[in-house]
Amino acid sequence: MKISVLAFLLLIFPSVLLSQNIVSGTVLDNKGVPVFGANVYLEGTYDGSTSDESGKFSFETSETGTQTLTISYVSFEPTKIIDDISKMKDLKITLREDVNSLETVTISAGSFSAGDNSKISVLKPLDIVTTASALGDFVGALQTLPGTTTVAEDGRLFVRGGDAGETQIFIDGIRVFTPYSPTANNVPTRGRYSPFLFDGITFSTGGYSAEYGQALSSVLLLNTIDEPTQEKTDIALMSVGGGLGHTEKWEKSSLSVNASYINLAPYIAILPDRNDWQKPFETASGEAVFRQKIGDGLLKVYGAFDTSDFELTQEDINQPEGTRFKLNNQNFYTNASYSEILNKGWTIFGGGSYTYGKTKVGIDEGNIKDTENSAHLKLKLKKRFSNRFKLNFGVEQFVTDFNEDYDEPNFAAQLGYNNNISAAFTEADIIFSRKLALKLGFRGEYSELFKEFTVSPRVSFAYKTGKSSQLSLAYGDFFQQPDSEVLKFTNNLEAQHTQHYIMNYQYSANNRIFRAEVYRKQYTNLVTYNDEFPDINTTFKNNGDGFAQGLDLFWRDNQTLKNIDYWVSYSYLDTQRKYKNYPFEATPSFANTHNLSVVGKYWINDWKSQIGFSYQYGSGRTYTDLNKAGFLQNKTRGYNSVSLNWAYLLSQQKILYVSVNNVFAFKNVNGYQYANAPDINGNFDRRELLPAADQFFFVGFFWTISDDGKDNQLDNL
Amino acid sequence: MQNVVTYLMIFFTALIMQGQTDSEVNTTAQPTKYQQGMRKAFQLWQENKSWEAANVFERIAAAEPDNWLPPYYVAQINVINSFTEKDGTKLKAQLDKAQDFINDATAISKENPDLLVLQAQLYTAWIVYDGQQYGMTYSPKASELYSKALALAPDNPRIILAKAEWDMGGAKYFGQSIEPYCKDIQRAIELFATFKPAGEFYPTYGEERAKQIQAESCI
Repeated sequence: MKISVLAFLLLIFPSVLLSQNIVSGTVLDNKGVPVFGANVYLEGTYDGSTSDESGKFSFETSETGTQTLTISYVSFEPTKIIDDISKMKDLKITLREDVNSLETVTISAGSFSAGDNSKISVLKPLDIVTTASALGDFVGALQTLPGTTTVAEDGRLFVRGGDAGETQIFIDGIRVFTPYSPTANNVPTRGRYSPFLFDGITFSTGGYSAEYGQALSSVLLLNTIDEPTQEKTDIALMSVGGGLGHTEKWEKSSLSVNASYINLAPYIAILPDRNDWQKPFETASGEAVFRQKIGDGLLKVYGAFDTSDFELTQEDINQPEGTRFKLNNQNFYTNASYSEILNKGWTIFGGGSYTYGKTKVGIDEGNIKDTENSAHLKLKLKKRFSNRFKLNFGVEQFVTDFNEDYDEPNFAAQLGYNNNISAAFTEADIIFSRKLALKLGFRGEYSELFKEFTVSPRVSFAYKTGKSSQLSLAYGDFFQQPDSEVLKFTNNLEAQHTQHYIMNYQYSANNRIFRAEVYRKQYTNLVTYNDEFPDINTTFKNNGDGFAQGLDLFWRDNQTLKNIDYWVSYSYLDTQRKYKNYPFEATPSFANTHNLSVVGKYWINDWKSQIGFSYQYGSGRTYTDLNKAGFLQNKTRGYNSVSLNWAYLLSQQKILYVSVNNVFAFKNVNGYQYANAPDINGNFDRRELLPAADQFFFVGFFWTISDDGKDNQLDNL
Repeated sequence: MQNVVTYLMIFFTALIMQGQTDSEVNTTAQPTKYQQGMRKAFQLWQENKSWEAANVFERIAAAEPDNWLPPYYVAQINVINSFTEKDGTKLKAQLDKAQDFINDATAISKENPDLLVLQAQLYTAWIVYDGQQYGMTYSPKASELYSKALALAPDNPRIILAKAEWDMGGAKYFGQSIEPYCKDIQRAIELFATFKPAGEFYPTYGEERAKQIQAESCI
């Protein structure tokens, strides 16, 4: 009854009972340009309008008193005006750009990202596994990026004149202590972890965040998948072994397990290599990831175990019968992390990892048994004050307990050390506008072993120079302790130190990316010693130093040629250092001047096939010619390799994959080994250090079984 | 493979919401503000003023915090308009907006098959934009969402259609039989005949599309 009376009155005296107010104004963007199509309305009512071509809006309302006027438009931050309705006339509203937009500048100095999360991905997730030369190894794919050096016989990452130990690898922000599988001298190693567990990879070749320490040159950050998309079973049959994987999902949790077995015996029986294998390489590994959602939090537990075994005789210039080498390694790694989004923009992350590594190496009559127990614990808090200001801070602890049993006929020793490092870091991300961003951080570390405290400032800055281009600068101080080869003999040292100066230019538009980066890296406090090989009587000092400087170029184009995606990387490197037992500053044998990679992928729709191509060139690396005066004074000839692969989709879930590394069988020489003593003419004899095999062939069949019949293992290849 | 996915996804660009049928309205009763607003929005949409329609839905969403339909339609307009958007910056802004509104709608109505299908279509928009970059990640996610939606509403013709159309694209590419999906589409058409939306302004599209696919692929 009440309602109809009111309706009646409204019909007769609308203007008397409810004074209609008019809300009007103009919407402009931050440059003063009118915004067309902005949504302007009184919150909680139905009253509102859309701005016209000149940014003007006007609407009537029967609301009175204090109201909230909301103005929203895509890619701008929503704006609210709280005021008395009578004052909402001829408003002039300037919208603030949403810095969460793709157009916002990103700090790109030093780092390459792969994955969907990053705004500008240099590599896409699939590239990690479809790069012809990589053979499914994520490290192999990263070696086609600029800033890396081709050290074909090693397989690890050598970044900007740094040795392999200067790059640290993190899974979900937690350190991996033993990331690579052990191999024989002339066989490149691979990353231990299968690429398909990760959905985001960031590879930084310098100037990285204060969150990461104990790395002089580079960090590689791998993030495991938060939530697998579906239940499935993967079966792999390969010319070198087999694999089985399964993912199971429940309402709030999921489990992925993966097992693989590799045995090179049949391959070597058909295609013998330069080694004389008594027991060809054999490895069995298992991995599991468990994820559980707890309220707004996510718990991830990752575990990996692998065991490798091989025995061979390798050619040696000083031993006509060759050197006998045998290795048995067991490695267990587990990593657990928990993250939760709390109230008021806070995020908490806590995690830890534990590594157990046991390696037994036999070299001729000598036996070395290493046992390493390492752990890393980290607690991090993040506060998001606004889209424009975020603060990160945290603490972490590294613990390493290393023991070695050294035993050969005329010498035996027990070596070992405990290395505990405590660290704290804080970092602020400030976005001033879509054009200008700054990251500023500090890291402090205390080493219990050295009784030493270090402080590293890190700063990077990015400025947008045009619609598609930007300039970034970065500076940082980085400290790292020497590795177990040194620490097992002495603790009377200090951390090694580098400073990075980086300038980066990036252009990205229409599926094309161009990056150019110049850098200078200054090394100080490098560890030196006075013997050919360190032992318990060796004197160690921190008086080494050096530098690395160069230019890295990257170009990727997915647009110009139909169905062809390619990238080209070039690195110029100038580096010298005095470390280990170097008599003076010299270019180490793992560094060279020019590196070039060309990677192409061609999709042939009619054949349902992807053909991959990659070419790698590395200019000659240094070695010491004992028949001439000098140290590391000569260079090998350049390295060349062309690899091809072919992935054929038999059906949606069955893939046949074939690949050949070094198709043209270029004979690459990695260096030379000289005899310990000269021959009767006073000449030191030498032999070439050759890869175990010039070429590698691989055939695999991959079958996925899932409910929807769609998924396949292309991303495992 | 990415290109395969792109290829598949092209089928879906054609997925235009077939006019939200005017809901049977009791014309004698005085329409509520909500009804007036929703009708105005649908009218603007039919006049091809989809952005203005989205603005009206957004206003209603702000005024009706317990109703999942207004945010659903805001998201749907942003998703549909993204299928033809070539500018990556705009696309991301639109799909981010759509995602926000899907999240709002999902908070109101959980386990809602229409929202799951819309989420799958949002992923599809990314795949159509750049199959190479997004195909591998979003394609299985979309598949999973369609399966989940169908499990929740096994007799909803729109959900049957959406899943069948998605699966059909893949089967065609690999030269596999599309017959099972044709059966699904036939079943969807039969169900559309008697389909009653759960309430006023609930989504009702799909029947025309089902007949179109049947005519193109199944006969």
